[in-house]
Amino acid sequence: MVIDLDKCTGCQACTIACKVENNIPHGSPEEQRLRREIYWHKTIAVSRGKFPHIRTEILPMPCMQCEHPPCVTVCPAKATYRREDGIIMQSYRRCIGCKYCMVACPYGARSFNYKAQETKPYHRQDEPPNQKSWGPWPFPTRTQGVVEKCTFCFHRIDQGIKEGKKIGIEVVPACVEACPSQARTFGDLDDPQSQISRLLASRSSFRLREELATHPKVIYLSR
Amino acid sequence: MKNSKENRSTNKKKNEIGLTRRRFLKLSGVTGAFIWTTHRPIGQLDSPLASPLQKKAQYEEKWVVTSCLNCQGRCGIRVKVVNQKAINVTGNPHSQVSEGKICPRAHIGLQVLYDPERIISPLKRTSSEKGKQIDPQWKPISWDQALEEVSRNLRNLREGLRPHHLLLFSGLNSRSSEDLISRFAEAYGTPNLVTGEGLDWEAERTGNWMADGHFDICAYDLDQTNYILSFGADLLESTPPVSRWLRKWGKFRREKSIRTKVVEIQPRYSLTASKSDEWIPINPGTDGALAMGIAHIIIREELFDHRFINEWTFGFKQYREMVLQNYKPEVVSKMTGIPAETIYRIAREFAQTRPALAIPGKGALAWPGGSSVGYAIRCLNALVGSIDVLGGILYQEQPEYRAIPKVPSDEITKKGLKQSPLDFRGTDRFPASRVVTNQIPQSLIERKPYPIEMAIGFNSNFNMTAPNSRSWEEALKRIPFYVHVAPFISEMAQFADLLLPSTTYLEEWGYDHSSSGAGFAEVRIKQPVIKPIGGSKSIGDIIFLLAERIPGVVAEAFNGIGNCAEEFVRLRTSSFLPWEEFLKKGVWKGPPYQYKKYSTLFHTPSKKFEFVSGNLRALLNKKGRAVREGTEILPHYSRVRWLGDESQFPLILFPYQPLLTFENGSQNYPWAQEIFLPMQGVGWTSPAEVNPETARSLNLREHDRIWIESPFGKIQTYVKISEGVPPNMVCIPFGQGHTSYGKWQKGIGCNPNEVIGVDFDLLSGQSAFFNTRVKIYKA
Repeated sequence: MVIDLDKCTGCQACTIACKVENNIPHGSPEEQRLRREIYWHKTIAVSRGKFPHIRTEILPMPCMQCEHPPCVTVCPAKATYRREDGIIMQSYRRCIGCKYCMVACPYGARSFNYKAQETKPYHRQDEPPNQKSWGPWPFPTRTQGVVEKCTFCFHRIDQGIKEGKKIGIEVVPACVEACPSQARTFGDLDDPQSQISRLLASRSSFRLREELATHPKVIYLSR
Repeated sequence: MKNSKENRSTNKKKNEIGLTRRRFLKLSGVTGAFIWTTHRPIGQLDSPLASPLQKKAQYEEKWVVTSCLNCQGRCGIRVKVVNQKAINVTGNPHSQVSEGKICPRAHIGLQVLYDPERIISPLKRTSSEKGKQIDPQWKPISWDQALEEVSRNLRNLREGLRPHHLLLFSGLNSRSSEDLISRFAEAYGTPNLVTGEGLDWEAERTGNWMADGHFDICAYDLDQTNYILSFGADLLESTPPVSRWLRKWGKFRREKSIRTKVVEIQPRYSLTASKSDEWIPINPGTDGALAMGIAHIIIREELFDHRFINEWTFGFKQYREMVLQNYKPEVVSKMTGIPAETIYRIAREFAQTRPALAIPGKGALAWPGGSSVGYAIRCLNALVGSIDVLGGILYQEQPEYRAIPKVPSDEITKKGLKQSPLDFRGTDRFPASRVVTNQIPQSLIERKPYPIEMAIGFNSNFNMTAPNSRSWEEALKRIPFYVHVAPFISEMAQFADLLLPSTTYLEEWGYDHSSSGAGFAEVRIKQPVIKPIGGSKSIGDIIFLLAERIPGVVAEAFNGIGNCAEEFVRLRTSSFLPWEEFLKKGVWKGPPYQYKKYSTLFHTPSKKFEFVSGNLRALLNKKGRAVREGTEILPHYSRVRWLGDESQFPLILFPYQPLLTFENGSQNYPWAQEIFLPMQGVGWTSPAEVNPETARSLNLREHDRIWIESPFGKIQTYVKISEGVPPNMVCIPFGQGHTSYGKWQKGIGCNPNEVIGVDFDLLSGQSAFFNTRVKIYKA
């Protein structure tokens, strides 16, 4: 995934679209204070300088889907693993909730689910989502006590491949689809002919915390 | 040996019931799968490994096209509905205003729809006292009873020959509801229909009207422009239609051959400022001076568009002399606090990078004298010839809905409509105004020009959104019979005698078009995505039901235009598309925009763009006022009138509207609340941002609770130290501080409107938001 920071408007449509798509529980003032909110995608602001010479960079951050993911290395339960296409996945059935991966992740891309389903409804405040009304949905319910993370909307990709659609053009993750300024591009980084590779070749780009050699696959185009 | 071997091998292959190993495995697999699918404990199948649940028999999915209403942008949307539940919102690709894209608020429509604290039946107040903290003791009543009570009061008022004693408030409603509400007011005979436009746009509209006779906010050709100079406009947060700005931002940055440069001029380092190429902090309230200073440089260096100025403008000579004499960059530099070199540089850039746009925003216009600032900025666009050209200012075309019969009237109507409106619009006090929202509290309290006996509020929440909430509360208390129509108990509903539950925008019939922005006309259908929740009815239907209970001209006015909102919408939109097609497509787009219509464009006495406003001169003459020739009808800058004494209140309160502030009167939406302020990285709150220097001098530390006190009241919040705020300012976001309802909003943050004083741009009736002084101290 490539995110063009020159086009990005910091509107956070990506964060909200992610919550809608993946049925991620919303937080509360108390949870924010305890830093217990669950975000698969977040938008952070990095400021430097003094008034009036100040510079703030807004960074939309999904999981970086590293080539060398520290979270996979440290997981004692083999609950987090790398799919063949490079997506880092989390198996909630294997996860023992030790949060080692959360400590290891240099990008803070992982969240621990503290919520008991019965007591805390999700975004559908009238009732917890039930399978009947949600239909084919990757995450109709959730598990308390496991670590969660962004999946690059793998369910969309898998479905798209099954239907023979073009990944990156016809099928994209929810955050890419929702981005109003079209700052995000999704596609195959290994294919030099793909839209995303061409875009990357045209501009100067950077990755977050490159010095850690995690080789993130979310790449930012600088302004 | 051979025999035994054979025996063994048969033993191995077959046991007593003839089950081989392979068959056993197969069978157990099937049984396992059977148990697995039938007994599915909730919470154990949420692994990504689990296959998507495919239950075809129970699954019914559809996409419904409709239109959003969380702000004035009113984008075309599509809603995914699965088994009668709305589960996802996306943009409607047919909508060209924002190229089928939507802002984050549209996604949150789901939480607007499924807000757990919506009201589901009409409620009647049983407590006789009214007030902010007083529990109204709501008692549910039936729709029949409620409508009968409202219409009985309406009938009595009208039969008593006092139709103008009815006051109607209209908040954020779809265009179809707005049309029905104003039709109702006109037929009933009251001139007192008050919208929230006096809070937002009147200065910009009046400024434009002075220049070229179009009483409308600006539309911009963002696809082609190469330079944007924004005066106090939060382009990415609160400049409507926001989704258009968000989409076009991507487009004009990197999807055309020349990258558009954006210069943001405003005191506070906003999100837009952080995304712009350049942020120029300016002394608050001096945008007018800067605009004139830029004009000075453009004129002196002959950088203006000679052809446009010579052929299509009027009064340039007088304007030129005035600008050259009064607004030398060095003088302007002192007023604005911007170095003279910077003013020279942006003036030259602006004039030489064509097509360029100068954009007026609320931060520059919501001041006393704001309309003149709007006029000055409009004149900048004229100087560089950006009027009605590719990449310039556009003139919004309005869609032509199917005409409906004129509103019938009788003697009572005629007499009522002749009365002076309650907000003094168009009178000597506010000569050019069309609505003066924030004048209402004073008129109600003083019972001038006449007392109000009954009021109906449609989705309005002015005691949250207008400056000086306390005066609104005082005023609302004095309305003898107040009916509030909204999906939830907003702050204004707290003062109602009767509460009618209206539907949200996702459950109603309607039509809508954006506020000015795109140039071309575009209409969107609004259709119910799901059945109305509880017993709520759409505002359109409520008006039809009320009208039929008031015999005479009111009932007559609503006869023959359909008998309900759906039929009305169908009738009105029949000029665009066949009904079925409209329901499927959702959007009708008008003909492409025509540029350079100069010969018919300017509605001014000279039929040209005017640097000396003939429109204003004519208006003031009509009101019998002497016109001060040198200044008044030319764009000019006047010194800021502050509310509060500088020695006592040393800081300036500078509120702002973040993108995730909802304009429908509620904020009870956790998705918006938890990421409310992206620049500060916090949600569920509204901190007071102060400069580190200020904090140090006042001995304040991060997260200290403080009082913010103005001459009009005080509010409490906490300190957030920020380098993006000038040392003489405090910045607080709008949108929080709700007190009436909602688990996710009540008691969260504070509302800066509680301490902002009442002031106006006296020409347009625009409320001033930024000229209140405050002091802060530890709580």
